[in-house]
Amino acid sequence: MSHGYAASVNDAYKIYGEGDSEVRALDGVTVAFESGRFTAIMGPSGSGKSTLLHCQAGLDTLTRGSVHIGEVSLSTLKDRELTELRRTQVGFVFQAYNLIPTLNAYENIVLPLMLGGEHGDQDWIDEVIGAVGLSDRLRHRPSELSGGQQQRVAVARAMATRPQIIFGDEPTGNLDSRTGTEILNFMRSAVDDHGQTIVIVTHDPVAAAYADRIIFLGDGKVVDEMLDPTAEKVLDHMKGFGE
Amino acid sequence: MSARSTALMARKSLRARLGRTLVIGLAITAGVSFVVGSFVLADSLRSTFDNLFAEVNEGVDLEVRSVTEFGTTSSRRDPLPDDLVDQIRAVPGVEVAAPFLQRTAQFVTADGDLVTTQGAPTFGVSWSDSAELSGLRLREGRFPVGPDEVGIDKATADRERIRLGDRVEVITDVGRFPFVIAGVVSLGNADGFAGASIAVFDFPTAQVVFAADNFADVISISVTDGFDIEAVQAAIAEILPPRTEVITGEQVVEEAGAGIFTAISAFGTGLLIFAFITSFVSAFIINNVFAITIGQRLRELALMRAVGASARQVSRMIILEAFVMSVIATLLGILGGVGVARLMIVFFNATGFGFPPTGSTLTLRTLLVAAAVGIGVTVISVSVPARRAARIPPVAAMRPELGFAALNTRRLIGGVIITAIGAVIFLMGLFVRPGGTTGLILFAGGGGLSLFLGIASISSTIARPVTAVIGWPVAKLLRTPGVLARQNAGRSPRRTSASASALMIGVALVSAAAVFAASVRDTFVRVLDRSVTADYVITDSTFQGLIPEVAEVLRTLPELSAVSPIRGAPALIDGDRIAIGAADPTALGELLNLDLQRGGYGDLTLNKVLIHEDPATTRGLDMGSMVSLTFQNGAILDLEVVGVYADAAVAGNWLVSLETIESISPLPPRDFFVVAKLADGVEAAFGDLAVRSALEPFPQAQVQTNAEFRQEQEDQINQLLLIITGLLLFSIMIAVLGISITLALAVFERTREIGLLRAVGMTKRQTRRTVRWEAVIVSVFGAVIGVVLGSLIGVALAIAVPTSVIDGISFSPSTTVIILIGAVLAGLFAALYPSYKASRMNVLDAIATE
Repeated sequence: MSHGYAASVNDAYKIYGEGDSEVRALDGVTVAFESGRFTAIMGPSGSGKSTLLHCQAGLDTLTRGSVHIGEVSLSTLKDRELTELRRTQVGFVFQAYNLIPTLNAYENIVLPLMLGGEHGDQDWIDEVIGAVGLSDRLRHRPSELSGGQQQRVAVARAMATRPQIIFGDEPTGNLDSRTGTEILNFMRSAVDDHGQTIVIVTHDPVAAAYADRIIFLGDGKVVDEMLDPTAEKVLDHMKGFGE
Repeated sequence: MSARSTALMARKSLRARLGRTLVIGLAITAGVSFVVGSFVLADSLRSTFDNLFAEVNEGVDLEVRSVTEFGTTSSRRDPLPDDLVDQIRAVPGVEVAAPFLQRTAQFVTADGDLVTTQGAPTFGVSWSDSAELSGLRLREGRFPVGPDEVGIDKATADRERIRLGDRVEVITDVGRFPFVIAGVVSLGNADGFAGASIAVFDFPTAQVVFAADNFADVISISVTDGFDIEAVQAAIAEILPPRTEVITGEQVVEEAGAGIFTAISAFGTGLLIFAFITSFVSAFIINNVFAITIGQRLRELALMRAVGASARQVSRMIILEAFVMSVIATLLGILGGVGVARLMIVFFNATGFGFPPTGSTLTLRTLLVAAAVGIGVTVISVSVPARRAARIPPVAAMRPELGFAALNTRRLIGGVIITAIGAVIFLMGLFVRPGGTTGLILFAGGGGLSLFLGIASISSTIARPVTAVIGWPVAKLLRTPGVLARQNAGRSPRRTSASASALMIGVALVSAAAVFAASVRDTFVRVLDRSVTADYVITDSTFQGLIPEVAEVLRTLPELSAVSPIRGAPALIDGDRIAIGAADPTALGELLNLDLQRGGYGDLTLNKVLIHEDPATTRGLDMGSMVSLTFQNGAILDLEVVGVYADAAVAGNWLVSLETIESISPLPPRDFFVVAKLADGVEAAFGDLAVRSALEPFPQAQVQTNAEFRQEQEDQINQLLLIITGLLLFSIMIAVLGISITLALAVFERTREIGLLRAVGMTKRQTRRTVRWEAVIVSVFGAVIGVVLGSLIGVALAIAVPTSVIDGISFSPSTTVIILIGAVLAGLFAALYPSYKASRMNVLDAIATE
C-alpha cells in the first residue's frame, strides 16, 4: 500500500529559551510518515507531540533539523510558498474551532480551494460530502451544526484538496465517544478507500487504535513505536510508561 | 470587594490594556483640544484687541464726532468742519485737540507694484499735534511732515520690504501721489492691524490727498492734568454745533471693541460648532470601544461576580476606569487646546495678520467646558456598557459562549422615535425659529444631534443588508477575501453601525453643505442670467468700495454703451432698517433686468424711488405714494414712488438715482461695483482691451466679464465649502480612527479564526485584503447613510432660507462621488494597522488560543 513517504522530519530540534530556562520540546526527532497510512502520535503532556505535528505541518519552524512534505524541504520555502503548500498539500483538523463562523458548511469545505481561486474536482468534493454525510446540511452555518457535524465538515475540508497529508490535532478531543468513533471511522476509510495519508496527535488509546502505526514521544524524543495497534495493547503500553 | 479593590482592579485593567486606553484617550484628547482651542483663540483675540484699543486710545480723554441715527458701530459718520478744532482748543482744560482723518489709501512700491492686503482694508490716516492721540507709535524714522512724506505700518513695511527713504506712491480717492517713506509706525504695540495696510500723513497733507479741505472726521482731545474730564466734556458740549457729540475715551474704546468682538465671537462660535461636532463624533468612538472591550471582558467580569463582586462594584469599576482615563485625557486636551490656539495665531500672523504678542487666555469657563466635554462625554459613553456589564450573571463565567443579545426591535423602535423627534425639532428650528437666531441654533443643533443619534440607532438594524449590498461587488471581484470581508462587516451590526455612524456624521454635514452651496450657486447663476444683461462687472479688491472716478472713466469709452455704478446706504422707514440701492437710471435699462411692472427708469430723477412689489404690497405703496426715509446722519428724504419692479435679486427692494443718494452726505461716495455693457457691434476683445487699459490707473478696480464674474462667485462658494469640509476633516479623521480601532479589536477577537484561515492556506496578502475591504465596506456604509441624510438636511436648509438666496434645490453629484471615493480611501487608511496586525498574527499562537 505504501510507496515512499508523504512527510518526514530529520534530526529535529525545537528549543525554547536559553541556559537554565532552556526547554527542548523536540530533542533530535527523526520520523517519517508513509504515504497512504494512518499514523498516531502519542505521549504525555509536554512530550512534544503537538510541537512535532505543528513543525511537520509547516505551522511552526524548527530550531534545527529538516522537515519535508513529499519531496519539498520546508526550510527553503518563503511564507508565501509555505502557505501555498499548506493550502494544496496539507489538510488540517483541529480539536476545536475548526470552522469559519461566517461561512456555511459547503463554503467551509471548499475554503482552501476558494482561497486558491480554484474550483477543484467537483466529483471528488461531492464524494467527500457524501461520505461525511452532510449533503442536507450544506447551507447551514457552523452555529447551526452539532459538534460532530462541525468536525465532519472540518474533515471534509481537509480532504477537499486531495492533500498529500492530513494532520489532526486531537481531532476527537472535544467529541463524545460515539461522535468520535464516527469521525475516526471516516478517517480510517479515507485511508483505506482513497489512499489518504493521515497523521493525528491523540492521547486517547481508542482513537490511536484506529491507526496503522503509533509513535510514542517522551521528553522530545521518539521513545517507541507500535504497528497495528489495538486499544488494549496501547493501554498496556501506556501503563508501562506510567510506571 | 472594597472601594480600594475596585480602584486596584480599575488601575490594573487600565495598565493591562494600555493600547486601548491610549486610543480612547486620544479620541477624548482630540475633542477636548478642539473645544479648548476654539475658546482660547477667541478669548485671546478678544483680549488682544481689548488691549490694543485701550492702548491706541490711551491718551484720548474725549472725542468729538458727528451723530448717527442708528447702526453706530460700522457706520460712516459725516465729517466735522475743521474750524471746530480752534474753538475746542479755546475751552479751558483742553490740553490738546487733534483733528483726525481716516480714508482709504493704497501704497504702490517703487517698482510700481500695488500693495494688496488680501481683502483687509487699506487705511490712510492723519496725525497732528500729538501723535499719541492718533494711537500711533514711532518705530523707525520720524512722523511724516509736509506734502512729500508718508509713514507706513511696520507689518506692511516688513511684508513688502519697504524701507525708510523709499520712494512710493499712494493712491487715494482723489488720485495718485508720490511720497518718501519718513517713518515706520506701529499701532500701540501691534506691528499692524489684522492685515490692513496703514499710510500716515500729517493733517494738512491728509486734507489734500483725501480732498477733505476744511474737514476732520473726529477730534481727539486730551484734558490738562487737574481738570475734571466730565466738566471739560460739558464745556465742549456747550459750543458744539447741532448733530455733533463729545464722548469719553472709554466709550471710544468700548465702541471700537464692540464691532470686532461681535466678529470674533461669531468666528469663535463657528469654530466651537465644529469642535462640538468633533466631540460628538468622539463620543461615538468612545462608546463603541468601551462596548466592545467590555464585551471581550465578559468572562473576566463574570468571574469577578462569581468570586463575590457585587453588580454595583463591577459597574463602578468600569466607570472608575473611564473616569481616570478621561481626567488624564482632558488635562492633555487642555494643553493641546492651548497649543492649537497658539498654532492658529502663528498661522494667522504668517498670512499677514499683525497680532501683537499675547499670552493664551485660559478662562475658568474654558476649563469647565473642557471638563464637561472630556469627562462628561466619556462617563456618559461608558455608563450604558457599564450597566450592561453589571447585569452579567456570575454563571456566565462557566459558559463557553458569551455575547450580548441583540435587542434589534427595541433599538429600531427607539431609533425611529428619536429620529422623528430630532427631525421635528430640527425643522422647527429652521422654519418656526422660536427665539430668533439663538433658538435657531439651539433647535437645529439639538434636533440635529437627536437626529444623528436616532439614525445611528436605526442603522444597526439595516447594517447587515446594506453592507451585504455594498460588499457584493467586493465579494465578486476579490473572491474569498472579499466574501469574508463582506460577511465580517455584517456579522456584528451594532459595532459596524457604531463605527460607521461616526463617519456618517461628518459626511452628512459635508453633504448638507454641498447641497446648500450648490443651491446657492445655481440660484446665483440663474439670477445673473435673468437679471444682469451687463457684459462687465468691475469690483473692488479691497472691499472698501470703488471711487466714483472708475465709473466716470468708463463712461467716456465709446466701446461701452451703458455704464452704471451700484451704491447703497442703510436707512430707516417707519423705524425699520432697510437697504437703499442707487444706480444711474439712464443706463439701468440696458444693464439690469428688474422686470419693471409699472413706471419707467426715465422717471427715476431726484427724490424719486423705484420699489419692489414686496414692500409695495406690505407697506401699501403704489405709483405716486410718498415714502419718508431717515439716513444715518439724520438726513431725511421724502421720495415719490415712480415705479414697481418684480426682480429684487440685484437691486434690492428700494432703488434711487445717484444724485438722490449723493444729496444725503458730503462724504465721498463709494460704489459697491460698476456694471457696463458693450456697445453694439464692438468686438468683445476690443471692448476688453479698452476697459482694462482705461482702468489701468485704478489697480484696486478688478475687471471681470460677465462669465468671469460668475466663475469667481462660484469659486468663492466652492472655497467656502472647502473650508467647511476642512473644519469637518478633524471629526472625519477621528471617525476613521474609530473604524481602525474597532477593526483592530475585531481582529484581536478573531485571532483563532484568522489562525485557522492561515493554517488552511490563506496568504498574508489575502488576510490583509480581507481586513482592508471590511474597513472599506464599513466606511462606505457610513458614507452612504451620511450622503442620504446630509442631502435631506441640505434640502431642508435650502428650503428654509429666503428665495432671494436659494430659489431651487440643486445637488452636487461630483461632491457625492468625491465623498464615496474618499470613503474607500478612508477605509483603506483605517485598515492599515489592523490588516498589518492580522497578517502578522502567528498561526500557531492563533490556533493555540483557548
